[in-house]
Amino acid sequence: MSRLGSLAGRIGSGLAPIALLLAAWQALSWAGAIDSTTLPAPAATLAALARLLEGRGFFVDLGITVLRGLGGLALGAAVGIPLGLLMAVDRRAEGFFNPLVKATYSLPKTALVPLFILWFGIGSVTNVLAVALSTVLPIIIYTYHGVQSAPKILIWSARAMGTTERRLLWDVLLPAAQHGILTGLRIGLGFAFLIAIAAEMIAAQLGIGKLLFMYGETGAYDFMFAAVTAIVLAAYAADRALVAVSDHLLRWQEPAHGRTGS
Amino acid sequence: MPATDPNIVISDVSKRFERRGQTFTALEHVDMQVAQGEFVSIVGPSGCGKSTLLYMLGGFVAPSGGQLSAGGKPVTGPGIDRGVVFQEYALFPWLSVADNIGYALVRKGLPRAEQAAIVARYVDLMGLRGFETAYPRELSGGMKQRVALARTFAYDPGILLLDEPFGALDAQTREIMQDELLRLWRSNRKTVVMVTHDVDEAVYLSNRVCVMSHRPGRIVEEFPIDLDHSASREDVVVSATYRDQRNAVWLAVRRQVTRASGGAAA
Amino acid sequence: MRVLLSLAKLYPLLLVAIAWELAARAGLVRPIFLPPVSTVIAALPALFWSGDILAPLGTSLYRAALGLAVAMIVGIGLGFLMARVRWIKWLLDPLVSLAFPSPKVAFLPIFVLWFGIDHLSKIALVAITCVFPFIIAAEAGARTVSRTQLWAAETMGTSRSGLVFRIILPGSLPSLMSGVRIAVPFALVSAFTAEMIAGGGGLGGDLIYAQRFFETTTVFALLLVMLVTGYLADALVLGLRRRVLRWHEG
Repeated sequence: MSRLGSLAGRIGSGLAPIALLLAAWQALSWAGAIDSTTLPAPAATLAALARLLEGRGFFVDLGITVLRGLGGLALGAAVGIPLGLLMAVDRRAEGFFNPLVKATYSLPKTALVPLFILWFGIGSVTNVLAVALSTVLPIIIYTYHGVQSAPKILIWSARAMGTTERRLLWDVLLPAAQHGILTGLRIGLGFAFLIAIAAEMIAAQLGIGKLLFMYGETGAYDFMFAAVTAIVLAAYAADRALVAVSDHLLRWQEPAHGRTGS
Repeated sequence: MPATDPNIVISDVSKRFERRGQTFTALEHVDMQVAQGEFVSIVGPSGCGKSTLLYMLGGFVAPSGGQLSAGGKPVTGPGIDRGVVFQEYALFPWLSVADNIGYALVRKGLPRAEQAAIVARYVDLMGLRGFETAYPRELSGGMKQRVALARTFAYDPGILLLDEPFGALDAQTREIMQDELLRLWRSNRKTVVMVTHDVDEAVYLSNRVCVMSHRPGRIVEEFPIDLDHSASREDVVVSATYRDQRNAVWLAVRRQVTRASGGAAA
Repeated sequence: MRVLLSLAKLYPLLLVAIAWELAARAGLVRPIFLPPVSTVIAALPALFWSGDILAPLGTSLYRAALGLAVAMIVGIGLGFLMARVRWIKWLLDPLVSLAFPSPKVAFLPIFVLWFGIDHLSKIALVAITCVFPFIIAAEAGARTVSRTQLWAAETMGTSRSGLVFRIILPGSLPSLMSGVRIAVPFALVSAFTAEMIAGGGGLGGDLIYAQRFFETTTVFALLLVMLVTGYLADALVLGLRRRVLRWHEG
């Protein structure tokens, strides 16, 4: 497959098996082997998706969910990256924050949603904060390990060439931590949409999570499947975009290191 | 050969490590002087602490006892008066070849035009033309070491510290790089201290070879080397002078290796 | 002495607990929003003995474990097939890369539609969340088994199923154990989340119930139980990995 090389070729070869599966599903549906009321056929789902995309309302819900997810991720990164860096270069900061990070890491993140609803009510504040708190921990940890993985010999040779401790952060530690930071961001991105949607399903007035439940309750299953399709594609697009940015930023890296993409 | 104008002075240096409550001595009573413009190699059995001694000169590792000075000033930390080339090249993988070579020039705050001129000169000198924008990962080991040498020569430190600089290269590339280094050194006569386990390399390149003992490492023998480097490599290597001096150093190292393996249980 | 020293390193936790206690006691926040930490801890034994923790914990763990088991069997099977059979790799690869970054919780309404609101829909969410780490770990693990290892086994008379169970599976174990370590917290969080959204008991269901009735002390107590459960599950996986991978270097 990679011998085709071009992006178009790769997308085409990825679409073919998916098209094949959808065609088989559609055929079974027509043949009556699948109950199309509880498992709408691809054609019905696509028709529903087309109708969703016609109106503005769906984009408002999808946009709100995406914004909550990405906003929370941005907040998590804004706190997590500096904190991870600080922990890696300052022993006292590490001693203070490390037990807190370790103690909170095992908390199932969505469990904070009910608490935040108590504190901040139902809405974007609760949602964005829950996403931020879920994403901040992997970002801290991967940033920290990224800085720690900076080879000692690079630090030495930078110092030998007259690098001050301050410049060392920018010239060596941050570039060396890039891979770790981007991995943390990618894991965070995975959490971001999950938490945003879960929080909306628990309690919300707007957003794709709320919409999914509404369609489920009213029996509009083709629309429910269409909305799920839309969120899967949106999450995929966001992940690919981050991988593309990572691969560009890490173009200097040895292939043996393994880029973030696959 | 007592140095007349010592550029590097190592006096009574020792280094002890603590590991799991046990102390072991890596270096003990190391005394050494290196004259301005001299090329000195340190050879010895593996684990004798020769790299540790070099790291102390670099200012990365502090001695447990004794003093080190370079250019008349005591060594307290890394400084741009001493350039270091490591076996693992230590290039910044995220910088291009040109940016790696120019890194220290930026830190020094040279005007941009001057930076570019120096980088271009060393790109030419080391045969790196056409690779200026390449990242280190795209280079072979030999090319990486060329960049590392160019980077260090470019900012013109008075002293060069080389830690097994060609240890990771294959035999042919190693010989080519040795001649490159010799050419650079003969053109600007920096003070060089090189650590290596390769006796031929030490004898071929140096004015003087110091042999270290196995742990605790001390300098036990010194050999002044006198080779005529205006001749070609072939002529030097087949000459009787080279052979005699090389054999003398090899036997001295050999004595330390056998002593180490004989007394390893102690 | 060593134990005391490592306990002393946990002082930040104590500081946070003290700050929490003081903030609550000083009336900076109303107890309905933040009960003192001492109240939360004092409430734990009663909740524990009344079965208000153990019963829902059992329900949640049952759902998480069953979903995890399904994900493990399906995921390892598919992962091995993808590593060895070219057309299965061709068929499933795009599907896996599409589904892996997707927020699986979006599928919950579909599972509720198919399996109802009791155990099965939650187990399905756990399974679909955990299956992808297993697929990826199994495929990567099976790829670390070299052709020469397989050839060596074949010349010594290993059957086809023997190759899978005696060569590929043990060879993939390091990778699979990493998959387990990723999947176990996924399983817990999916089970709790499904319970919070679709009800039907379990720690997640009880958490939402407590929140709706402003029993904030119970909310915090249940959060603590979830935290400890997650921590113990990870410790268990790490211990298991050490035992299983004794032969493995690094």
